[in-house]
Amino acid sequence: MESVTRIKQALAERSRTASIDDLRTEGRRQVRIVRTEHVVAMIAEAVQAAVENSGMLTQQQVDELLRQTRSEFQEVLKRRSDAANEAEELRSELLQREDALRQLRAEVLSLRQALDQTQQDLDQARSELNAPRADEDTFAQDVAPEPDFGEIVEPRTPAPAAPAAPRAQQPAQPQAAPAQPAAAGQPDFSAALEKLAGTLNDRLEQIGRKMGISSAVEADSVNLEGLFRDDGKQVESNIDSVETKQKSGGGIAANLERLKKLKGG
Amino acid sequence: MSQNKNKQDNHASAASDTTVALGKGLDIGTANLAAAVQNSEGGITVTVERNAFLDIPSDVYSKNMLTKLKVPYVVHNGKLVVLGEAAFELANVFGRETRRPMSDGLISPNETDAMQMIRLIISKVLGEPRKPGEHCYFCVPAPSIDVDNNVVYHQGLFESMLGKMGYTARAINEAHAVIFSELADNDFTGIGLSFGGGMVNACVAYKSIPCLSFSVARGGDWIDKNVANVLGVPRSKATFIKERGIDIRDPKNREEEAVAIYYRSLINYVLQNIKARFENGKNMPSFQQPIDIACAGGTSLIGGFIEVFRDEFAKIDFPIPIGRIFRAEEALTAVAKGCLVAAAIGE
Repeated sequence: MESVTRIKQALAERSRTASIDDLRTEGRRQVRIVRTEHVVAMIAEAVQAAVENSGMLTQQQVDELLRQTRSEFQEVLKRRSDAANEAEELRSELLQREDALRQLRAEVLSLRQALDQTQQDLDQARSELNAPRADEDTFAQDVAPEPDFGEIVEPRTPAPAAPAAPRAQQPAQPQAAPAQPAAAGQPDFSAALEKLAGTLNDRLEQIGRKMGISSAVEADSVNLEGLFRDDGKQVESNIDSVETKQKSGGGIAANLERLKKLKGG
Repeated sequence: MSQNKNKQDNHASAASDTTVALGKGLDIGTANLAAAVQNSEGGITVTVERNAFLDIPSDVYSKNMLTKLKVPYVVHNGKLVVLGEAAFELANVFGRETRRPMSDGLISPNETDAMQMIRLIISKVLGEPRKPGEHCYFCVPAPSIDVDNNVVYHQGLFESMLGKMGYTARAINEAHAVIFSELADNDFTGIGLSFGGGMVNACVAYKSIPCLSFSVARGGDWIDKNVANVLGVPRSKATFIKERGIDIRDPKNREEEAVAIYYRSLINYVLQNIKARFENGKNMPSFQQPIDIACAGGTSLIGGFIEVFRDEFAKIDFPIPIGRIFRAEEALTAVAKGCLVAAAIGE
C-alpha cells in the first residue's frame, strides 16, 4: 500500500490538470495521452523485472504481489475519479443557482421600477386632482410680490375639484347628471367640471393600462425620426475642425454605488 | 480645469478607452448644452456649448475669417450660421441678438431653424455613440405651473433625434437629475432645484423616487428680459452684465442693482411655489429629519446666489424641515452629471 501511495504521489507531482482550452491557449495542438492501465502495466513490468533480477522472490510470489498492487492502484484511481466527478457536479449546480439568483434579482429590480413608475403616475394624478389646470384663459397665481418695475401677472382662478369615478370599477359610465341651471348672477361650473372629469378619467385609464386592468390597448409612441430624415446632402461646415471646450469633473462611482444599494442591487 | 480638444481626438480617445464605462448624460438647456461622459481617470468629462446661433451674410472673406479664427459655422439656406459661444460673442460685438433654438425650456416653436441648429450643436457636444444603442439620458423640464406648456412634443423630438444619432435615448426630469448628482450622501432624499435659462425646475425626492416635480417659466432669460427692459439695452447686453462676475449681495451700480432685484424676485417666487405645492398637495411625504436643498444650473452661478437664497428662505415659513442649502460645486454641469448617473445605472 505504501508503494502504491508513493506511486500516486509521484504521478501527482509529475502531472497537472488542464482543460482543452488551456492547452489550446498554450499553443498545443496535440498531446500524448497515456492511459492509466498502461501506467499500471509499466509499473508492474518494472516491479517484476526488479524482483526477478533480485532473485529474492519466487515467480508465484511475484505474481501475487503484482496482482495486489494492481488492485490497490485501481481502487485509488476510482476513488479519485469519483471525487472529481462529485466536485464537478457541485460546481455545475452552484453555477445554475447563481444564474437563477441573478435572474431573480433582475426581476425584482424591474418590478420595483414598475412600482415606482406606477407610484409616480398615481402621485401625478393626485396632484392634478388637487390643482387642476383647465384650458380656458387663466393665469398663474402670483404668490410672490413683484418688484416695482416688473411684470404683473394675473392670479389664476382655480377650477373647483370634482370627485373621481374610476372607470375600472364602473363598466358602464353613468350619464352625467344634467347641470343645475345656474342661479342668476352665479358662474356656471358645469363645463369646467365635465372637462375635469374627462381629464381625470384619462389619467385613471392610463394608470389602469399600466396596472393591466384596462381593456384599452396602448398605441405605439409617436416616432418623430422622420423629421430628421437625411436628404443625402452634405452640409458645408467647419465644425469637425473646431475645438470643443471640455471640463473635468468629479467621478460618479459613489453615486452609482449608493443608487445600487437603494435599488437592492 | 478646462482643456480644448479637437473633435476627432475626442472620438479617437473615446474609441481607444475600451475600459471606460458606457452611458452619456445630456443637459438640453435653454442657454447651454452639456454632455457628460465617464473618463478613464475615474472622473467625468463634460463638454459644454452655448445653445445659440447667429446668421451672417455668406461670402468667401467671411468664411476664411471664421475658419482662421476657429469659429464654428455651417452654411444653411445660403447664409453662414455661427454656432455656440462664438455666436454669443459675435452678437455682443455687433450689437445683435443671438437666435435661440429653445425658449422657456422647450424647443422654440417660433424659430424655424431650431431643429437643424440644435441637432448640429448636440452632435458637436455629444459625439457619436461608442457602441450602437449606447444609453443617453437627457433632461426634460416638468410641466410648468404658471404657463400652459406641453413637454410631450419636446421629449419625443429629442428622443427621436438622439435615436437617429444611434443612441438609446431616455428622458429624466431636470431637477431629478440634480438630486442624482448632488444628494447621493443623503440617499437621494431632498429637494433639487435647477435654475436654468428658461425655467426653474424643482423636484422633491425620497430615496431617489420623485414625489413632487414642477417647473416655473422663469429663469435666467426672464431676468435678462426684465433687466434689459429696465435699462434699455439689448438682452445680450443684460446677459453680459449678469455673467461678468457681479455679486448680487453687493451691487455696485444701477445695472447690478437691477440684476440683484430680479434675482431675489426669482428665488422668492420659486420658494413660495414649492411651499404652496407642498401645502396644497395631498399624500406628500412627511420628512421627520431635515432635508437638504441642492441648487444647480447656470443661473445659480452668479456671485452671492446661495447667500441671497438663504436670505429669502429665512423670510418664509417653509412647511418641511430643511437642513443644508447649498449650490453644486459644478453648478453648470450638475444636471449633465445627474443624467450620466441615470445612464450609467441604465447600462
